[in-house]
Amino acid sequence: MLEIFTKSQKILGINARNQEFIKPSHFKRARCVIDNKLLTKRILNKAGIPTSKVYGIIKKRSELNRFNWNTLPNSFALKPNRGLGGAGILIVYGRKKESPSPVWIKVDGKEITIPDLKNHILNILDGNFSLNSIPDVVFFEERIKILKLFKPYAWKGIPDIRIIVYGGMPVMAEFRLPTKESDGRANLHAGAIGVGIDMGSGITTNAILYQKLISFLPKKRLILRGIKIPYWSEILTMAVQSQIAANVNFLGVDIAIDREKGPVVLELNARPGLSIQIANLAPLRERLERIKGLKIKNLQKRVKLAQDLFGGEVEEELEEISGRRVIGICEPIEVIDIEGRKHSILVKIDTGAYRTTICQSLADKFGLTKTIRTKRVRGTLGNEERPIVDLSFILDNRLVSTEAFVANRIEMKFDIIVGRKDLKQFLVDPAKNVFMSEKVLEKIKEKRMIK
Amino acid sequence: MIQSGVPQETLILLLMVPIIATFVAFSREIIGIKGFGIYTSLIIAFAFVATGLNYGMIIFISVLLAGTALRFILKRFRLLYLPRIALVLSGVTLLVFFMFLGGRYIGLADLLEISIFPILIIVILIEKFVAAQIERGNSVAVALTFQTLILATISYFIIKWSLLQTLVLDYPLYIFLGIIIINFILGKWTGLRVSEYFRFKEVLQHIDLSEKK
Repeated sequence: MLEIFTKSQKILGINARNQEFIKPSHFKRARCVIDNKLLTKRILNKAGIPTSKVYGIIKKRSELNRFNWNTLPNSFALKPNRGLGGAGILIVYGRKKESPSPVWIKVDGKEITIPDLKNHILNILDGNFSLNSIPDVVFFEERIKILKLFKPYAWKGIPDIRIIVYGGMPVMAEFRLPTKESDGRANLHAGAIGVGIDMGSGITTNAILYQKLISFLPKKRLILRGIKIPYWSEILTMAVQSQIAANVNFLGVDIAIDREKGPVVLELNARPGLSIQIANLAPLRERLERIKGLKIKNLQKRVKLAQDLFGGEVEEELEEISGRRVIGICEPIEVIDIEGRKHSILVKIDTGAYRTTICQSLADKFGLTKTIRTKRVRGTLGNEERPIVDLSFILDNRLVSTEAFVANRIEMKFDIIVGRKDLKQFLVDPAKNVFMSEKVLEKIKEKRMIK
Repeated sequence: MIQSGVPQETLILLLMVPIIATFVAFSREIIGIKGFGIYTSLIIAFAFVATGLNYGMIIFISVLLAGTALRFILKRFRLLYLPRIALVLSGVTLLVFFMFLGGRYIGLADLLEISIFPILIIVILIEKFVAAQIERGNSVAVALTFQTLILATISYFIIKWSLLQTLVLDYPLYIFLGIIIINFILGKWTGLRVSEYFRFKEVLQHIDLSEKK
């Protein structure tokens, strides 16, 4: 019980966020600047930080009536200036050709006409999507073009990268994927997927949907772990620059990557959501406390320090991140013979060979004599016709079922070499297990003696 | 004050306001029940006191269902926000009217004795619930409404608690002092809410306390 309490102090809850990190520094300023998207854009552009272009602004009903719809490009995003949680945003990705008055196509494939747009804009102007229902301003923004790498993961909308920045240092990051449920918005409350990002490497880790951990993209069965975010340190630097430009101490910076322009700041968030902690399986408050009061002048140094401090140790996490096991050059495996029994044996991992090869004597011993087909191979010893047999073995707790060559390897040190065809689930580290080969051999021999 | 003619009932209700407000604040900050905030929970609780819990609940739920149904019907006409809400309110008023009519027909005399103000309050609050449905999505709105209803019901029982009623009348100053202290503590509370222990349970599992590296 006491342990849970100590642990809980490392997590950032709503109370602590509002009391300790938001309130003292920036309450008033955040209110004026961040909740006003157009002002945010102006401030960021002044500091030389790229944002998406604005095509037009509508402030009043009279301006709506005079608005020239033909100035709009084929694709754009319509946003309320003071919108909350992505509400009221309308994204259009194509214009229907051959119609006298403009007709656009929304992300859900439905058509939208000028009267529909006008109605939506009037709702925004009346303040139905703004904080406290204050009358609002509408603007048309350039639609960001999705990166090819991200395309399979996102439904219609643009995935973005949320970076929590505190006191000039990036603290935690999350990759947010719009889904059908979230209607193409990258908002976690609306049903978007959040994927934690390793601060050091920019590689994704755990994923959440509605605050529950998931490992695959629903319906598509795509693994969400191990995606490498491009421009990673650029994105972190940009997030910190935005925080400094906005002059707000604690901030969530949303950055998207445009196919042509690269990273672009989408918006700033004064009250960043806390479920980022679940996606990263890491407590935020602990990280914030660690860098509280830290003063380093150089921006690049700060970013680097944050990457080192909060990034996982790459070697240790490599397996976890890539989902693949790291193996050495010599590995003990268990070969399954024709009757299903397992035999321990030490093998050599050989990425230079394509196919796994088993020694004739061993194949006979295990009853793996049924030749499926034969294949000609050209080796250092000239051309040779080698038979291929079915072979199943367990390497590092994973079952590998493959077709292997049978060859005479009596002269060789290892009876089996495992080729790269069967190593797709693994990463090979030549520095691993080099010392343990003799011992393992001995152990295997011992085991055989007992048997 | 009681001798000078202020009715005891009024005094109790008045002194209950800070207690209920503190209770709602406590539920939000320590437990994590959100609801629609102090005002809504409090006013519904007092409306329940005036109507009685059974009738209050029946009116509240039927009015809410009618309001939601009307919202869905009106959705396709794409009306602007205020006229749409006005229509929802009109529909709900009509429903209450028919409830009275029906009550009279069946012969529920006590339904007709309920003063109109608590019912008006419930009807007008529908705007808040419908607005939440529009702005925050249906599932969030349902959760918030449900939480508010729970808070209001518990508040109702707190108001009706006779021990507390006598305490409030006998020692109003101590009660106030207690409330001030509790709210200062609540206002400075930075720990996790009970609901957040559940929300972050996976994160909690992943924290290891062995910091000696």
